[in-house]
Amino acid sequence: MNDAATTSEESGHMDRPLFVAVILLVAFGIVMVYSASAVMATHQMDNSTYFLGRQVVYAIIGIVIMMVVSRIDYHVFQNSAVVWAVLGISFAGLLLCHTPLGATINGASRWIRLGPVTVQPAEAVKVSLVIWLSYSLAKKSSQIKSFSIGFLPHLLVPGVLMFACMLQPDFGTTVVIALLTFSLLFIAGAKMGYIMLAGIVAAPIAYLLATGSEYRFRRLLTFLDPLATRYGDGYQLTQSLFGFGSGGLTGVGVGDGLQKFLFLPEAHNDFISSIIAEELGVIGIWATMLLCAVVVGRGVLIGFRSKDEFGSFIASGLSILLGVQVLANMGVAMGLLPTKGLNLPFVSFGGSALVFSLGAIGVLLSISRGGVVPQPKEMGERSWSSKGNVRKADKAGSEGVV
Amino acid sequence: MVSLPSGRDQWIRVRIMLLVIVMMAGAAAVAHGAWQLGVTRAQELTDLAAEQYTRKIKISAHRGMITDRHGEELAVEIEVKSVYADPRKVTNPQLVAATLSPLLGKDATKMESRLGSDRHFVWLKRRVSPQVAQAVEKLGFSGVSLLDESKRFYPNRSLGSHIIGFAGIDSNGLEGVELRFDGVLQGNAEAATGLSDARGRMVFSDGIFGSDGIVGRNVELTIDRTLQYIVEQELLNTIRVFEAKAGHIVMMDPSTGEILALANYPTYNPNRLNKSTAENRRNRAVLDVFEPGSTFKVFTLAAALNAGKLRPNQKTFCERGRMEIFDVVIHDDHRDGWLNPTECLKRSSNICFAKIAAGLSKKRLYHYIRRFGFGERTHVQLPFEMRGTLNHHKKWYDIDTATTSFGQGIGVTGIQMATALSAIANGGKLMKPLIVRRVIGQSGETERSFSPQVRRRVISRYTARMVADMMTAVTEEGGTGTQASLNGYLVAGKTGTAQKSEGSKGYAKDKWVASFFGFVPSDRPRLAISIVIDEPLINHYGGTVAAPVFKRIADQSLRYLGVSPRFSGKSGTSRKKKNVKKAKVERSKRQDSENGSRDEELGPASVFADMLELGPGQVRTPHLIGMSMSDAMEVLSSEGLRPMFMGTGIAAEQIPQPDEPVDTGEFVQVNFMPLPDHGTLSEEDADTGADSQGVP
Repeated sequence: MNDAATTSEESGHMDRPLFVAVILLVAFGIVMVYSASAVMATHQMDNSTYFLGRQVVYAIIGIVIMMVVSRIDYHVFQNSAVVWAVLGISFAGLLLCHTPLGATINGASRWIRLGPVTVQPAEAVKVSLVIWLSYSLAKKSSQIKSFSIGFLPHLLVPGVLMFACMLQPDFGTTVVIALLTFSLLFIAGAKMGYIMLAGIVAAPIAYLLATGSEYRFRRLLTFLDPLATRYGDGYQLTQSLFGFGSGGLTGVGVGDGLQKFLFLPEAHNDFISSIIAEELGVIGIWATMLLCAVVVGRGVLIGFRSKDEFGSFIASGLSILLGVQVLANMGVAMGLLPTKGLNLPFVSFGGSALVFSLGAIGVLLSISRGGVVPQPKEMGERSWSSKGNVRKADKAGSEGVV
Repeated sequence: MVSLPSGRDQWIRVRIMLLVIVMMAGAAAVAHGAWQLGVTRAQELTDLAAEQYTRKIKISAHRGMITDRHGEELAVEIEVKSVYADPRKVTNPQLVAATLSPLLGKDATKMESRLGSDRHFVWLKRRVSPQVAQAVEKLGFSGVSLLDESKRFYPNRSLGSHIIGFAGIDSNGLEGVELRFDGVLQGNAEAATGLSDARGRMVFSDGIFGSDGIVGRNVELTIDRTLQYIVEQELLNTIRVFEAKAGHIVMMDPSTGEILALANYPTYNPNRLNKSTAENRRNRAVLDVFEPGSTFKVFTLAAALNAGKLRPNQKTFCERGRMEIFDVVIHDDHRDGWLNPTECLKRSSNICFAKIAAGLSKKRLYHYIRRFGFGERTHVQLPFEMRGTLNHHKKWYDIDTATTSFGQGIGVTGIQMATALSAIANGGKLMKPLIVRRVIGQSGETERSFSPQVRRRVISRYTARMVADMMTAVTEEGGTGTQASLNGYLVAGKTGTAQKSEGSKGYAKDKWVASFFGFVPSDRPRLAISIVIDEPLINHYGGTVAAPVFKRIADQSLRYLGVSPRFSGKSGTSRKKKNVKKAKVERSKRQDSENGSRDEELGPASVFADMLELGPGQVRTPHLIGMSMSDAMEVLSSEGLRPMFMGTGIAAEQIPQPDEPVDTGEFVQVNFMPLPDHGTLSEEDADTGADSQGVP
């Protein structure tokens, strides 16, 4: 932290380990998406490189966005108008899914068609919610202990988003939003009593939602014994487990797996970790986890080193977002968690997820550079948590780029 | 959260750390989960996964063909349709079963229960007719589909069926070459038996399996379809004429060990397997162990001659047809006195061979029998081969040496006999019998070829020639196998007539095995044939039942192979046979360089000349080679022989050979060749002359 203090006068370099780890993950993802999708692409599109080509394009777009964002001072988001606009656009996207602009696939309205591409607003919502929560919690940090100012708004806004997600339906994103909200409230220092209370209130709602439809509940429980319904509800998970089992410790080799031969649905997407396990084995899974751990770990460290509370909240929030998704994705693929559609960040096929995840990394890198120098005179006894917010907003635009 | 953090900053860090710790716990759980699945439960899951990949559908890739040595198709694939269902997609099993069961000829209740099962794939009916396939397609029930399958078809029906074998409904080889070369014919076994994707289609990907691995290879047999046909026809005729129970014939190329034909009776049509019995499908030539009887004397003789325990002209006393040894009486059909080895064989004297074997000792006899390949598998490329029965000599009773010498108390197979016989025909080398020549890839390239393989040298080339000559006498006048002799070719053979053993009850009174084996032409063998006729009713003598089969097969086969006759005219005239034989001996002496010096010392020509006594009115043919035409004329006329001269120059070749007995007044053919610049004719030239200019 002392290092940070001495270099706080000028914008620092971006966090290199984070950058390298993310690039490695993206590259690895491209290889695995090709391996997992070639058969299906040949079968459906008559073009084995259909998904590969798209993922490469998404990666290039995402990396460009990441680099651009990393050079923008993250304090640009500390502007009330900007942050509300970002959140509002994301939310509007969620709602647009239900309009004729939206695309419904397999009964879920999660996508908007924009010309040749489809965008998944939920991916944007997750990132923008972290930014909004960080902004709001940092702004209200002095009143964080209060229920009406410090707590309730930070439940209501995510609650609305969660409701919109459930309409799609997108149970996975809903759960991630809930986790993010509680995590950030906890970090910001909201009263544990309130958090627990919210949890106690939310639990029966979640239970009702889960059990409300017998279909949903049954699906929810298949993960406990997928083999029992291996030709029914447990089919996908069973296939995923076969991937893990067949791969063994070291895997059968990239490209040599058999599960992608239309056995495993969503092989290139939500269940890509099963393909990784089949082709690269337990070692491959562990290596992937290690790379993700580097990303999350550097993210948390960036949060620790951040000069202000806002940056600290965003960094830890985004790190938790990525970490939770990695764990949830793998946990689902291994049958440790109920089957939910969550992709593996940077690795799974999907343009929206890749671009917004890389955008999030751009924000992390921006925070690692330190952004604009806080007021020198307040060095020492400064309490940036109470004052910094207001000032930074003015300077963000002019000195964002170093 | 920079320089001097307030208490609140510290707490924020602590809380972040708490969440990080929770995530680390989660990561540990996930990492452990991966270990659990990938290592602890790997076997269970892999087995389950493998089940779905292969799923027992076993839709084979195109199974390779089996062809004869000239590429004639013996086993091919034809396309047919099969009806299957994915029960999970069948909406109304009851209706489907009720509609399809009469069409497919299956039980409706059973079909309904199959359609109601929790599986991906059930066969409803394999290999339906095109009409039924069309009808099923028209009905268009969801979940009921047609699948292209291939079916094995044997265009020649029963021809060679025991060699080819057959493949089952899942295109898996069950017998014969189909079984023995199943892996090759199927291609990559795992892939070809139905590595299917989730929709039950075959997974074909160059990246996963070599494109070659998945396609079945063709197998080319050593069998010649025409020869096989000849052999099968003659076997069938003989079985019918003599009302025999069974029989088998093996025809081999003695120089390579390649089996040119292998026939069994009874036989079957592999296209109609359900109409055949196991008895019909039995490849007796490889599976049946029988007592060879007298044919086996050939090997006793070869052993004794090779071991030097019997001289070629050594006479043995035949005890006038009855001899008692070790409380057992041995009989001969003839009451003979002193016989030389040729006569022993020619007359098939049990007593002589008992004596010869005694002179050889049981240890040596056993040794040679083993060397000839008895009591062990020949390793022919056919499944389930028997090794026969041959006790170790230490377990022999004294009488066993005698009985073994004439082929009793020992069990052999047809393939063993043909292989051992070939060893005598080819100059003493025991070959590995071959039934498959090549494995050919789909693009026609040879992937693997099976070249002739010498397993060991059993007897010297010299001994082999002697035995061959003695065997030739068997088909000549006064021998037991005269019915095997044919015009224009010398036949070396031996008859066998064995009573069938009935285990502990001793020998059956009226059950016989008639056999004949031999090779032709005896001086340069092209075919070695072993014929075994089991339980003929009309007659049981090998010379009567089996020898004529040999003659008819050899006659047709040699003509088919284009082997030109050595001479025309009456067969059995010893003069002509001997001289050809002698030429062969000369040649073999030269070729067999490793034994050359020894052969030279012994001087085979003189040995034979000694053996060939002059009959009344006979003279020895004078030495003419190297003489001028006038000198030769003078010598011949002084001996009372008539000249038949060809060419000009110096006498290069003569028939009969020098010192051979020849009737006075007969022609002696002499080929003259111009004198080469550098001196006398080499043996090679002389020999070539002999080969190309046989007597017209």
